[in-house]
Amino acid sequence: MTNPEKQDHGAGMIRQEPELSPISLLEAIRRHGRVWGDLAAQYGVTNPDPPWKVNLEATCDALSAEACALPLLERRAEEDELSASLYSEVPFPERQLLALAHSMIIRGLVDEEELGRRMKEIYRRLTSV
Amino acid sequence: MSDKHSKDEHGHRPPAPMVDEVSDFEVLEMAVRELAIEKGLFSAEDHRRWTEYVHTLGPLPAARLVAKAWLDPEYKKLAVTDGVKASLDVGVDWINSPPTNFGTPSDYCNLRVLEDTPKVKHVVVCTLCSCYPRPILGQSPEWYRTPNYRRRLVRWPRQVLAEFGLQLPPDVDIRVADSNQKTRYIVLPVRPAGTEGWTEDQLAEIVTRDCLIGVAVPKPGVTANAKRPVHPAVHPVQHGH
Amino acid sequence: MSTSKHDRTHHAKKATGKGDPQCFRGEAGPPKFRVGDRVRIKDLPDIFYTRCQVYTRGALGTVAALVYESPAAEDEAWDNTDKPEWFYSVRFQQKELWPDYPDLYANDSVETEFSERWLEKA
Repeated sequence: MTNPEKQDHGAGMIRQEPELSPISLLEAIRRHGRVWGDLAAQYGVTNPDPPWKVNLEATCDALSAEACALPLLERRAEEDELSASLYSEVPFPERQLLALAHSMIIRGLVDEEELGRRMKEIYRRLTSV
Repeated sequence: MSDKHSKDEHGHRPPAPMVDEVSDFEVLEMAVRELAIEKGLFSAEDHRRWTEYVHTLGPLPAARLVAKAWLDPEYKKLAVTDGVKASLDVGVDWINSPPTNFGTPSDYCNLRVLEDTPKVKHVVVCTLCSCYPRPILGQSPEWYRTPNYRRRLVRWPRQVLAEFGLQLPPDVDIRVADSNQKTRYIVLPVRPAGTEGWTEDQLAEIVTRDCLIGVAVPKPGVTANAKRPVHPAVHPVQHGH
Repeated sequence: MSTSKHDRTHHAKKATGKGDPQCFRGEAGPPKFRVGDRVRIKDLPDIFYTRCQVYTRGALGTVAALVYESPAAEDEAWDNTDKPEWFYSVRFQQKELWPDYPDLYANDSVETEFSERWLEKA
């Protein structure tokens, strides 16, 4: 859902609060990551949701209930902001995942660099035999 | 299903198709989770319990609650006066089944069942953040979470319902329930004509998630939620109000 | 905004097996309002946190139900759970909330919940 007020800038820049500036790691994923809709179509899988969606929901529940590190209302408000700006072109639930990672990084719950390193390690793990 | 159902010469069905590549999003989800666990934000055990719980959630119990209420006037009375107790009869324990054993911040334990009549149509929203009766209805659909739905439904309910394909005559009152505190709502729609003599299973089949939110009404033969194409809004809600 | 470990345990001890808001039953004292009362929503200052929607402020409604007892959301957010209040489900005519709402649909309404502090007799 795009906001015409925010679209209306000649240089194509998005007006946003300082704390919702793009995060390089997440921008890279946003640009190059393959969303479930495309993957499912390519491989002929009919599940409407990616297998990791349940894990994402559980993470959000656990963060809110167990840790109180990221209470629901805060996370949702930020998710709305990010969904209207940085991640407006990203489908759901990829959008929710990016928003979660974004919220955690700006709160210092995880660090962008270590997240990037961990992703590389996991990718190696998953693609080695 | 797009997989081939024909069997090979040994009588084995070929395996169902799988996505045979690793996506960045899949990897991001794992990385976030692993780091959160390592930093002690929650334990692997906590996460496992929540994953198991989330797996159990879906709209079937709520559909069965409605079907039972249609068939049994006493159960309908219970459903309308004590939603939490009525939920037990469809296998949903609002209090004890979430891993916390007291509900969660997002799933408080006060279920209210809103009974439609031929003259009153209920529809549910959470304008503040998209709270939803997950324990009995499963995860909310994407459109329910959008500011577009949340802000417009209270303001222009008839227009928004028309966008969902539901147009109601002026002599039907629309009641919007905004779940801003600890109550969670499901709608008990009017039982449609053409369902005389149906079993509980047959009735439950036509009570879709969208009927339970209130943006659709049950119809014989309609057992799935309508597809919701997402278009940019012509007059979208302004952010940062 | 995170709560201390102590507070986390306290809520869990109180609510486990009972549910929330059920665990606060009997703690709010006598309710100030009854079903059918006409009430107006106060516009209390809410600098930090609130669950009282802006669109209801100053509006006139009718108490439809007494729903449960609980700490007000504004207190609960800061872990002040000592003084639960009665919560009311209040119904508003749409025409009351939005003056340009069509007369054709005069009976359309919105129902939403408030803790007692937000209500005054109209």
